[in-house]
Amino acid sequence: MYLIEAEKLKKVYAEGKSKNTIAIEDFNLKVKEREFTSIVGPSGCGKSTFLLLVSGLEKATAGKLYINGQPVNGPDPLRSIVFQEYLLFPWKTVRGNVEFGLEIKRIPKKKRREISSAYIELVGLEGFENRYPHELSGGMKQRVAIARALVNKPKVILLDEPFGSLDALTREGLQTELLRIWHEAKCTVLFVTHSISEAVYLSDKVAIMSKRPGRIKELITIDLPRPRTKDMFVSSEFREYERYLKELVWEEFNDVTNEI
Amino acid sequence: MTLPMKYKYRKIISPICLMVIWEIVGRFIWVDPFFFPPPSAMFKELYAMIITGEVFPHIAISITRALSGYILAAVAGLTIGLLVAWSSAVEDIIDPLIELIRPISTFALVPVMFIWFGIGNGSKIAIIFKACFFPIVLNTIAGIKGVDKKLIQAARSLGANGSQLWIKVLIPAALPMIVTGMRISTAMSMLAIVGVEMLAADSGIGFLVIDAQRTFATARMFAGIIVISFLGFSLDRIARIIQNRMLAWHTETSLSGGMV
Ligand SMILES: Nc1ncnc2c1ncn2[C@@H]1O[C@H](COP(=O)(O)OP(=O)(O)OP(=O)(O)O)[C@@H](O)[C@H]1O
Ligand SMILES: [Mg+2]
Repeated sequence: MYLIEAEKLKKVYAEGKSKNTIAIEDFNLKVKEREFTSIVGPSGCGKSTFLLLVSGLEKATAGKLYINGQPVNGPDPLRSIVFQEYLLFPWKTVRGNVEFGLEIKRIPKKKRREISSAYIELVGLEGFENRYPHELSGGMKQRVAIARALVNKPKVILLDEPFGSLDALTREGLQTELLRIWHEAKCTVLFVTHSISEAVYLSDKVAIMSKRPGRIKELITIDLPRPRTKDMFVSSEFREYERYLKELVWEEFNDVTNEI
Repeated sequence: MTLPMKYKYRKIISPICLMVIWEIVGRFIWVDPFFFPPPSAMFKELYAMIITGEVFPHIAISITRALSGYILAAVAGLTIGLLVAWSSAVEDIIDPLIELIRPISTFALVPVMFIWFGIGNGSKIAIIFKACFFPIVLNTIAGIKGVDKKLIQAARSLGANGSQLWIKVLIPAALPMIVTGMRISTAMSMLAIVGVEMLAADSGIGFLVIDAQRTFATARMFAGIIVISFLGFSLDRIARIIQNRMLAWHTETSLSGGMV
């Protein structure tokens, strides 16, 4: 039994009559409950598109997409997405942004404050509760976006390059936090990244996508023991996964550059 | 706006120089004081108006008229603007009317308003309404339509839908533009009220000026103009203060160069 099932999934963005973009096509991916799956692939291959389809914010053009055996039908707060562009609400403070999902659920103010404080602490933004997004650095905004997505206690977390603009130290800290949250909340994670070592370090499975129109080229199981530790980065197994995945990604990248 | 004090003084240099030169020309060089009453005469006249209290009923009646028209325009502009942005059917019906009436100069409609509403307060309020309505309705429509689609997606993924999207996302996100429209209209209301009071009125600050001109009291006429200038300036300042208070998150972004 799979939690997420994508079969022959296709998404075409229609821009006017003649200009259509086939973002993904013949996309097949099955994800088990509580699995941590990373998606890597060349820029523009449709990674964000797939996350949007799973979130229910975009509708597939063709193919099947099931979650828990049910076809995806619109967004659901139990499937949270952390956008590549953060998309914080600029008129709300850090706290206001984090509390948005709770506000929508009409949770009383006091309770909201308690919950948001916990998540703000989790992402290391204590002391910045009353700042507005334009007063934050890119990495801080990204952390607000993560906290905002987590308050709803989602069953599926979709993360679109969430650590892209973080410095190495914060990045490592949040990677560890993410693994902890994933472990504790017993949720399922889809994680888009450009960093292969990050994908290997975090994931049960890494999906390599082809260039656009994107499809899953290979799904590799990462057979490293859990809990993962930083010293695994230098283990020969880790290196071997990295090397193999890099090769697969480079093939796609070369295809792209050849076309140009 | 947060210039250091010593730079703020620079801003009053040019008005003072103008006054001084005018005074010198008026006194020592032969010009007809009927055309160029020296500032000292104007301010003497202004002082008299204030001391006798004669000017205040005129100011009060002008502001009452301007405010009545403005409030009606704000209510109608916001309501119609939101409806147009909400439904394309409403847009198709209303938009042609807006596009047809908007380019007509406010003062071209004065005769029509006189016929419909008489030469009393009704027509004046209608003229103010015409002047104020369009900036508000157009900015409301543009503001709502300009909200980043992705921001709406972010809110939907957190569980917001229907009216919640309007109250918690669309309106707050559009507020900077809506408030800008309302601020432009405060200036419009001042321009329109003075103009229409010059055409037909027996009270109001515009009447005071035109009445002084008709009775060849030019110093008094200029004193009235100073009052108008002062009123317009204060109104704009008040509007700006309200705008900055409401949009602390936004004005600071635009000041620092970046937009939301
Ligand atoms: N809303 C949209 N309208 C039209 N075309 C779109 C839209 N969103 C994405 N596309 C197109 O679909 C393709 C896939 O985009 P997508 O954002 O999914 O790629 P990605 O793999 O996430 O890329 P990146 O790694 O750069 O984030 C691209 O060619 C893009 O131009
Ligand atoms: Mg992307």
